[in-house]
Amino acid sequence: MRVDPVAAPSDSAPGGTLPLLDEHLARDLAAIVGERRVLARPGELRAYESDGLAGYQRRPALAVFPGTRDETVAVVRLLAERGIRYVPRGAGTGLSGGALADDVVLLGLHRLTRIVSIDAENARAVVEPGVVNAALSRAAAPFGLLYAPDPSSQTACTIGGNVAENAGGPHCLKYGVTLNHVLAVTALLPRGEIVTLGNAAGESDGYDLLGAFVGSEGCFGVALDVTVKLERIPQSIVTLLADFSSVHAAAEAVSAIIASGIVPAALEMMDAATIEAVEASIYAGGYPTDAAAILLIELDGAAAGLDEDAARVARYCTEAGARTVRSATDSAERARLWQGRKKAFGAMGRLAPHLMVQDAVVPRTRLPEILTEIARIGERHDIRIRNVFHAGDGNLHPNIAYDGSDPVQARRVHAAMSEVMSACIAAGGTITGEHGIGLDKLPYMDRLFTPDTLAAMCALRDVFDPDRRANPGKVVPVHSCREWHAAPSARGRSA
Amino acid sequence: MARRALRARAQRVIGSASVESTEALAAGVRDARARREPLRIVGAGEWLDAGRPCAAPHSLDVRALRGVTEFAPDDFTITVRAGTSLAEIDETVASAARWLTLRPFGSAAGTIGATVATASWGPLASAFGTPRDHVLGCEVVTGLGDVVRAGGRVVKNVAGFDLVRLMTGAWGTLGVITEVTVRLRALPEVDRTIAVAIEGSGADACDAVRRWLRASAFTPLAAELCSPALAARLGIGDGERAILLARLGGNEPLVRAATRSVSELGATHDADAAVWEALRLAEPAGATTFRLGAAPASLAPVWARAVRDAEAMGGWAHATVARGVVRCVVPRAARASDEEIARLRGIIAHVPSPGSRIVERAPAAVWTGLPPAAADALSIGVRGAFDPDGIFNPGILGPPA
Repeated sequence: MRVDPVAAPSDSAPGGTLPLLDEHLARDLAAIVGERRVLARPGELRAYESDGLAGYQRRPALAVFPGTRDETVAVVRLLAERGIRYVPRGAGTGLSGGALADDVVLLGLHRLTRIVSIDAENARAVVEPGVVNAALSRAAAPFGLLYAPDPSSQTACTIGGNVAENAGGPHCLKYGVTLNHVLAVTALLPRGEIVTLGNAAGESDGYDLLGAFVGSEGCFGVALDVTVKLERIPQSIVTLLADFSSVHAAAEAVSAIIASGIVPAALEMMDAATIEAVEASIYAGGYPTDAAAILLIELDGAAAGLDEDAARVARYCTEAGARTVRSATDSAERARLWQGRKKAFGAMGRLAPHLMVQDAVVPRTRLPEILTEIARIGERHDIRIRNVFHAGDGNLHPNIAYDGSDPVQARRVHAAMSEVMSACIAAGGTITGEHGIGLDKLPYMDRLFTPDTLAAMCALRDVFDPDRRANPGKVVPVHSCREWHAAPSARGRSA
Repeated sequence: MARRALRARAQRVIGSASVESTEALAAGVRDARARREPLRIVGAGEWLDAGRPCAAPHSLDVRALRGVTEFAPDDFTITVRAGTSLAEIDETVASAARWLTLRPFGSAAGTIGATVATASWGPLASAFGTPRDHVLGCEVVTGLGDVVRAGGRVVKNVAGFDLVRLMTGAWGTLGVITEVTVRLRALPEVDRTIAVAIEGSGADACDAVRRWLRASAFTPLAAELCSPALAARLGIGDGERAILLARLGGNEPLVRAATRSVSELGATHDADAAVWEALRLAEPAGATTFRLGAAPASLAPVWARAVRDAEAMGGWAHATVARGVVRCVVPRAARASDEEIARLRGIIAHVPSPGSRIVERAPAAVWTGLPPAAADALSIGVRGAFDPDGIFNPGILGPPA
């Protein structure tokens, strides 16, 4: 294997400079995983320069793809021995730049695709981290079960990545996010120790380290296996499409439905600009192209009483000003309606080289005003902001198709997004509901959290990763870690 | 008892009425840290004799931190100071047809801070989960005297590392919770409680309920299997058979169909919703209580042994079958005999491995021999990061001092 020389990075982040990544490392990793599973040439690494946010590109120094649990353990321990920093990656569908490896080792886990077991009696499954989200639900279907969290990227994204990001999805409105579905994780910590977090056969006692691990964006280690809860496939499903002549009216309908106490399985909104993009693509959902906004509403559960709830939901839509409310008549129509929603980012990706997607959350009663504010911000910066999002959770996904190679355009996009973030924080919200902080939202952490809170997050990270080698530089701004004034001995990292 | 002696020694109370703000509390903590004087965190005092012995000579009273900060009924959230009682929260949110679906065992005089700190839950966990599934944000004063504001007030939030989950169930050993934001639900349109007489009381009864829960299209708000003695005590059974207490919620047609479905399990009769309060308050003061957990399909033998032995000692058992948890209650004699201790330990030891054995309150002799919680290297590291001098609730979690 020929290895192109890789320059030692000039990185000044805490954790020290990265040891020179030379051919010895590539050779030793290849001895574990095989030569074909170690990539070191710039050409080979190009495919791993971005995640789902193509506007960010960082070249890994080297990429390694273990195929088994034992190989994964051996790789992480080798990196630990040599003090080398790494970034774990699943399918690379993340939308926060969280899986970018800037001149450090990229640890790809998508080859660990074994569904270890499905325990139908207890409605749970044990899977390796590279199992694709939708593949798990497919495997569980013969038992009448499904895995509920359903990110829009579910046909590609992995359970390991879902755990790292605490991923959501449309149906999390009723069923909860990844955190609520993970019972236990066998975690491989950055120094190579293997620990069990949570308890798959009973309650957990002591600190909720599983809760801390889920959503830790690869900074606390990687999952070797994950035990998840499965849900019954609902007896009955009603899917409604309501169309509105104003975004405001659609937002009012959302607030009315939520306030009624009915908990739809999903409650999604798409605005006119999104509908236009989706309907022009191969993912067309059959949405009315003259609508200012549509709501895609799903109710599920026992058949009894479901139609009554659906009728009430339809009435709230009509009262808020819906022009029409129709119900999917069969599963093919339901699938088509959902395809348009789930592939919306894909459809918009066709419009321009880059897509910026945000993920802020606001209290649901604030939706009408925040959507108005977002539109104003777009006008002010002369860019078209599209909205397609989990309205029932108040989880916005304002997004902009743009050309990142045009610095003026890129600057306008970032300025607008920054204002959107500030508006959402001011409305009592947060900067990310399911995509994670990664690299993209790092600049906003200071606006949301106090220095003491950020410092506490750093301290927690230092317990799992005392050498700060796992996904370095992500999630918490490096400067906030210096303000934690614990005794050095408490840092797990003596000065 | 040793515990009483400890409480009697808790003379100097820092906090109490003077701690009316987070800042004052933080100053008190910094002061205690400087003096190296461990503190026992005290809310309503409902659980003071629970848990492992706490070795703090001083108390930190957070009861003055009370009241509703923000109630947003249409966002289904409420933010309250930690010393607010569950009863006060229930009353506030009920006025807008909302409820906090925690309702842990014990008195509603208990505080939200203690409920979150101890991760306490009740029968509604069957449908709604435990505190970790309810808490959206919290304000905490760490052992360094820092004020940390974790999470937020929205229902979905992955910004930064999850300090909220970390504080929930930490028994105050990582910080004093001063404020909490929790998720609420709408009160169900129809809320019906059904008592179902299950044939027998042992493993078969437990398994029948589990199979129904697994196969049914319905998700009861609560489905608590009560041992014969408990059912009789609650006035819903004959003392011979176990009773499934099922709480069915939703619109009228749904509840009607669910009622029909649950009646497949045995003869049913309607019960007053007040029975849920009676269940929360069933155990006499100072009773020994512990929870045993297993995967639901492995719960039946745990249940059978718990019912047999707890009832033989004048106690009872109930199971949140959907969660795979059996809770045992044994009223405490003035002094537990060696035989009783052996019996209690026998029930606990009967849980199949890995399982879970969580002692809520028990004589010290029951504790001995049980592995302490939070004694692993990561947990010790977390404790060291948030409370490096070990000033909060020493002894309650973690390796014995």
